[in-house]
Amino acid sequence: MLTLRNLRKKFGDLIAVDGLSLRIEPGEVFGLLGPNGAGKSTTIGMSVGMIRPDAGDVTLEGFGDPMNPPVRRAIGVAPQSLAIYEDLTARENMVFFGRLQSMRGRTLRRRVDLTLEMVGLSSRQFDRVATFSGGMKRRLNLAAAMIHEPPLLLLDEPTAGVDPQSRNSILELVRSLAAQGVTILYTTHYMEEAAKLCSRVAVVDHGRLLAIGTVPDLVRTHGGTTVITVDRGDRSERIETSDPVRDVATIMADPTRGISGLRIDRPDLESVFLNLTGRSLRD
Amino acid sequence: MTPVIALAIKDLRHLLRDRGAAFFALGFPLLVALFFGFIFGGDTSQRARLAVRVVNLDQGPAGAALVDAMGRDGSIELSASDDPTEAADAVRLGKAVAVVTIPRDFSAASDAIFVGVARSIEMVVDPSRRSEAGLLEGKLNQLAFRQLSERFADPAWMRTAIANAKQAAATARDISPPQAIGMSLMFDAIQRAIDAGFNPAAGDGEAWTPIRISVSSLDTPRTGPRSGYEVSFIQGIIWGLMGCVTAFGSSMASERSRGTLARLTVAPITRAQVLAGKSLACFIACLAVQAILVAFGMAAFGISVERPLMLVTACLAAGVGFTGLMMFMAGLSRTEGGGGGLGRALVLILAMIGGGTVPLFVMPRILLAASRVSPFSWATTCLEGALWRGYSAPEMLLPAAILVSFGVVGFAIGVSALRWTE
Ligand SMILES: Nc1ncnc2c1ncn2[C@@H]1O[C@H](COP(=O)(O)OP(=O)(O)O)[C@@H](O)[C@H]1O
Ligand SMILES: [Mg+2]
Repeated sequence: MLTLRNLRKKFGDLIAVDGLSLRIEPGEVFGLLGPNGAGKSTTIGMSVGMIRPDAGDVTLEGFGDPMNPPVRRAIGVAPQSLAIYEDLTARENMVFFGRLQSMRGRTLRRRVDLTLEMVGLSSRQFDRVATFSGGMKRRLNLAAAMIHEPPLLLLDEPTAGVDPQSRNSILELVRSLAAQGVTILYTTHYMEEAAKLCSRVAVVDHGRLLAIGTVPDLVRTHGGTTVITVDRGDRSERIETSDPVRDVATIMADPTRGISGLRIDRPDLESVFLNLTGRSLRD
Repeated sequence: MTPVIALAIKDLRHLLRDRGAAFFALGFPLLVALFFGFIFGGDTSQRARLAVRVVNLDQGPAGAALVDAMGRDGSIELSASDDPTEAADAVRLGKAVAVVTIPRDFSAASDAIFVGVARSIEMVVDPSRRSEAGLLEGKLNQLAFRQLSERFADPAWMRTAIANAKQAAATARDISPPQAIGMSLMFDAIQRAIDAGFNPAAGDGEAWTPIRISVSSLDTPRTGPRSGYEVSFIQGIIWGLMGCVTAFGSSMASERSRGTLARLTVAPITRAQVLAGKSLACFIACLAVQAILVAFGMAAFGISVERPLMLVTACLAAGVGFTGLMMFMAGLSRTEGGGGGLGRALVLILAMIGGGTVPLFVMPRILLAASRVSPFSWATTCLEGALWRGYSAPEMLLPAAILVSFGVVGFAIGVSALRWTE
């Protein structure tokens, strides 16, 4: 669906994206996971003709280079920094963004109704965006990306700074869009979101691709072993294992030692990142 | 086309909802128009009256009636004088605009009006105050005409005038006897009609007008504003145009800093379409501000538009010119601060020297020359030309073309300076 080849972008001396190549397949939810400053937003920007790459190229299969305006009709973008007009109402925003896509008349009205409904803003559609909460603005930012029903959605940290309720409804929405066959590129620095939503994940840092694959694959190859921590009074014991079920059964079966606590740490994307970079995702 | 119009509508909506911007585009200009209009002396009825010396050499009723009528007219400050030399000196010294001399035979000429004796008065004017003299001339014609109409409505006076005419016809040597008889019959018929209650001064006398008097005051060329408001509303328009330029000129920078420019760049529209949308919005706002101020001035402050077609031309040229200036400013102000502040300051100065503070026609020559670097100055000229200078199309051509050129050049520079993609 979308192919990025050897993308490179420098801002002054800073290399924001350093030879990144990705291929996003039709119908998948592809996660771009990395800490702040990893180059995710720059990658999104280059994928849609907003930022001109210093080197490399972008192709939207069947359409061409998104630097070419008509090609961008196939893409919907929800930028990380909110891109909606605060002094317009939610509906006026949607109508405006629909018109930018050359939509009009009844088609536009119906599509505006539907997308506002999908993000749960129908009841507030005639209020100015300035009066909205952070979560509502995020949802409107997302709605604006899908007004024209694009087959490819680029969502840049769509849950940044929202309340848990809005976050859940956004994740739900992404799932249902994926179920309808929309291809999604989803960037985040929350590994839980990537793990929950994405069929494949690319781990990036300092503009470079560190690893790519399905979540279980990544965890298996880069996550390390499961760690069982057993607390006995004021002493705790750390056991690395490849078969946690058997080991826990063994530990529990031994009545002679008083066990006060037991924790099983299975490797996850966080440990993948830790193993790949020596740093935590949340730094 | 849809995206361009959508962009323009969005920007206009933005202007209307931004209280500060809307105030500077319309509220402040109106205040300027009212305030300066008031300072400059408001409308003609409040303006300094024309100081006129009258020397009445006529002893009869017509001369006295004319002096009386002039004295009662609100726009004339009349002082009588017996000495023609003293009166002429008063004009030379600038104490009066004109001396009006009513000749000795004025009443006699009035009574002999059907005989073809011209009623005339003399006027000596200050050459440097020709525009006021023109005003006075029109005024006198109007007064004299009114006086004459009153006379026609007076049967006793009509009887005397007709008797005089009959007498003159009977004794005239250059007409043949049949002609004399014919005229005598005609005068009798008129007399009978008047005796029967026919009033030649009333409206139904259209078909029978014994004499035609053309009132020249209506056609007197105007070389000055009729009232302070005709000056101040143009100043108001200048500030309104400035308000539009700054509002739209900074909107590109604010789209960038608020992140909405991102969505414009990722939409399937070209950069040219985005610029066209912004320009269209600014153009419409410039036209609207001009139309609203002129309409308001006409409705509430007696401004009259001498050349409507020229006004349309002036407004369109200003729309193009200031849309270009807006784009120039947009190119200058990549961020809301920094260059944006510089752009706003520049536009403010251009508006101030371009007629926003001191009206061009009272500017000293050297300042006027300097003000010509400002497109606002050319807009002022265009608007003055349409409102009260009575510009013809060829006269309007130069300032309008200069205004449009400002627009084209500003547009080109602005567009090439605008940063688009990172
Ligand atoms: N317009 C810009 N000018 C200068 N530096 C930038 C610009 N945009 C991004 N950067 C820098 O590039 C790096 C990558 O940024 P970004 O792509 O936004 O990362 P992410 O979205 O993963 O947080 C960061 O160090 C950021 O400071
Ligand atoms: Mg980012």
